[in-house]
Amino acid sequence: MAKPIPLAVFFSLLQASNLACAEHTTDDDGFKQPMQHLQFNPGLDQREFERSTLSALNVYDPLESWNRRVYHFNYRFDEWVFLPIVDGYRYITPTLVQTGVSNFFSNLGDVPNLLNSALQFKGKRTLQTTARLLFNTTIGVAGLWDPATLMGLPKQKEDFGQTLGYYGTPAGPYLILPLLGPSNLRDTGGLVADFAAKSQVNWLNVAEVSTNHPEITLLEVVDQRSTVNFRYGQLNSPFEYEKIRFFYHESRKLQIAE
Amino acid sequence: MPYFLRLLALLGCLALVTSASAADINADSYGYPISNAFEATLVTTPPELRPKLPADADINQRDYQIKLRPGREFELPDNFWPVTKMRYRLAKQRGEAPLIFIIAGTGAHYASSTPEYLKKLFYGAGYHVVQLSSPTSYDFMSSASRFATPGITRDDADDLYRAMQAVRAQHPRLKVSAFHLTGYSLGALQAAFVSELDETRRSFNFKRVLLLNPPVNLYTSVTNLDRMVQTKVKGIDSSTTFYELVLGKLTHYFQDKGYVDINDALLYDFQNSKEKLSDEQMAMLIGAAFRFSSADIAFTSDLINRRGLITPINYPITENTSLSPFFKNALKCDFDCYLTEQVIPMWRARYDGGSLAQLIDQVSLYAVADYLKNSSKIAVMHNADDVILGPGDLGFLRRTMGERLTVYPLGGHCGNLNYRVNSDAMLEFFRG
Repeated sequence: MAKPIPLAVFFSLLQASNLACAEHTTDDDGFKQPMQHLQFNPGLDQREFERSTLSALNVYDPLESWNRRVYHFNYRFDEWVFLPIVDGYRYITPTLVQTGVSNFFSNLGDVPNLLNSALQFKGKRTLQTTARLLFNTTIGVAGLWDPATLMGLPKQKEDFGQTLGYYGTPAGPYLILPLLGPSNLRDTGGLVADFAAKSQVNWLNVAEVSTNHPEITLLEVVDQRSTVNFRYGQLNSPFEYEKIRFFYHESRKLQIAE
Repeated sequence: MPYFLRLLALLGCLALVTSASAADINADSYGYPISNAFEATLVTTPPELRPKLPADADINQRDYQIKLRPGREFELPDNFWPVTKMRYRLAKQRGEAPLIFIIAGTGAHYASSTPEYLKKLFYGAGYHVVQLSSPTSYDFMSSASRFATPGITRDDADDLYRAMQAVRAQHPRLKVSAFHLTGYSLGALQAAFVSELDETRRSFNFKRVLLLNPPVNLYTSVTNLDRMVQTKVKGIDSSTTFYELVLGKLTHYFQDKGYVDINDALLYDFQNSKEKLSDEQMAMLIGAAFRFSSADIAFTSDLINRRGLITPINYPITENTSLSPFFKNALKCDFDCYLTEQVIPMWRARYDGGSLAQLIDQVSLYAVADYLKNSSKIAVMHNADDVILGPGDLGFLRRTMGERLTVYPLGGHCGNLNYRVNSDAMLEFFRG
C-alpha cells in the first residue's frame, strides 16, 4: 500500500504531541514499546523482589499452629453459618433499612472513635468526631441517617489498639480470634477496652438494652459482616494465611501512623 | 459483517495511514486520560469515566460448585479442603437470554475484580453470565485441572471446556438462546483455544468470541512480567525494602489527606498526589503481583503432582502445618523457573520431546493462527502500549485478524477495559 507521506508525518506528529513519554519509538505496526525506557538492575543484582518479600514475611507469630486452626474454623463458620445468615438478612431487608441499620451502629461506633482520638490528643479529629456524633444523633434521627458525611465530616476510625500503638506499645504476637478474625495481643486488649468503654458510656442506652435483648447484638454482628467485603478464598492462594497476616500487620501500622 | 461496515473499514484504511485494515482508534478522539502504560495497568479508569453498572443487589447470582475430579479430595492435603470442588459464579436473567462465559486472567479467581466488572457489564445488557477461574489459579488447578500444570494452552482449554460442559449440565432448566465467550489477558489466549475446540466438540457453537488483551507470544509475555521486578527503583537501599518504600508513600499520602478513605478513586488520586510512583516502581508493583501468582502456581503444581521441588514428597501437611517455608521456596520461582522446572519436563514426557521454540509455538496464539484468520466470529481488542506484548506481536495480530482487530492507543494491560468507550465497543460486538 502506498503511503501518502505528508499524512504520515502529520499523524506521527499528532501522536508524539499526545504522548507524555515522548522518548518512546512507535513500531511500524503501531506498538509503542512501553518497557523500552525502564531502567533495570544489573544482572547480578536482581534479587530485590526476593529480598523485600522474604523480609516482609517475617511477622512475629509464635502461635502459628493454633492460629491456623482458628483460621480454618473461621473459614468454615463463615461459609456454613455466617454468610448464609448475612445473605438471608440482605434478601429480606430493604436496602434503605440496611443502610439505616449500618448508620445506626456506625454512629454508636463513633463513641470509641471520639474517646481514642481524644486520648491521642488529635484535636481536629476529636472535634470532627464530636460534631459527627452530635449531628448524626440529632438531625440524623439517632444515627439512622448520616448527614455528617454529606457535610464533609468523614468517619475516622480510632480504636484503643491504635491508641496503644500510638504511644509505642509493640504489637505482640499475631493472633487469630475465633469468629472475629485477625488481630494481635495489643489489639485484642484494645478490643476489650473499647467494648468496656462502649458499655460504660451507654450511648443512646443501647448497651444496657442489649444485655436483655441479645438480638440487638446479633443484628450488629450481622450488619458488620454484611458491610465487610472480605470473603475467604477470594485471595485465591494456598498462602492466604500468610497474605492476610501481612496485610493485617501493615494496615495496622498504617492506621497507627496516620 | 454488514456491507457498510466493510466500506467504513476500507475508508478508514484509506484515510488513516495504517499498514493493515485493523480498526485503529484515533488517539485524539479516544479520550482515555492516562497516557502512562504502567499507571493505566495499575489504576485502570477514573470512576467518572466508567460505564453505568447494575448494583449487586439487582443481580440474581449465586456461587455453585461441581465435583469435577473426585479423586482430588483424597490426593490433596487437609488444608486444601476449600478447593476440592470447582466453584464458579452464575448470574441468571429472568427467562431466555444469551449466555456468556468469562475466563479470568493469570492466577485470577472467578470473583476477582475484572471478572466481576465484566459480569456486571454483560448482566446489565441482558446476558446470563458464568464466571470461571483461570486455569492458572490455585482453585482451578486443584479442582478442575487434569494435570495441574497450567501453561500448555491446549490442555488448559480442554480443562476449561470440560468445566463449561459441567456448568451447562448443572443448569438444565436455564434457557439459553446462544452461547458467547470472552476472556481477558491469559484468559483471552485460552478463549481462542476453547473456541477452536468447540468447532469439533460442538457443545456450545459459540456465536461470538471476544479476546481482550491476549498475549500473542506467551513466552514474551511471561519474560516481560518476570523482568518487571528487576527494575532499578530509586530509594531502595540496604535498610529499606521495596514494600517499605511503597507503604511509606501510602502513609504519607494518607497523612497529607488527613484521613484514610479507601474507594475506587484511591489509586487514581494517589497517582495524582506528590507521592506518586515512578514508572520503575509501578513496574515493580505489577511484576510483584505476577510473582505472587507464579509462586502459587509453582507450589500448587509441584504439590499436586508430587514433584518434590518445593514441598518434599510425602511431607505431612495438616490444617495447622505452617506453609511459610514452602511459600519462601515458591517465591524464588518466577515464570521462567516454573516453565523450565515443571512445564517443559512434563510436556516432553507426554509429547515425546521437543524444543523450547516448539513449545512456545504450540502454546501461543501462533498455534491457532489459521483458525483465527478464517473464523469471522472472533475479534480481538488490544492496546498499542500493552506491557505484555513484544515487538512484532501487534503486526501478527494485524495480519491474522484483519478488520476484526481493534487497537486502542492507550490503556496499558487491561487498564481501559472499564473505560466507557471500550465497554460500549464490547457490548456492540456481542450485539451485532
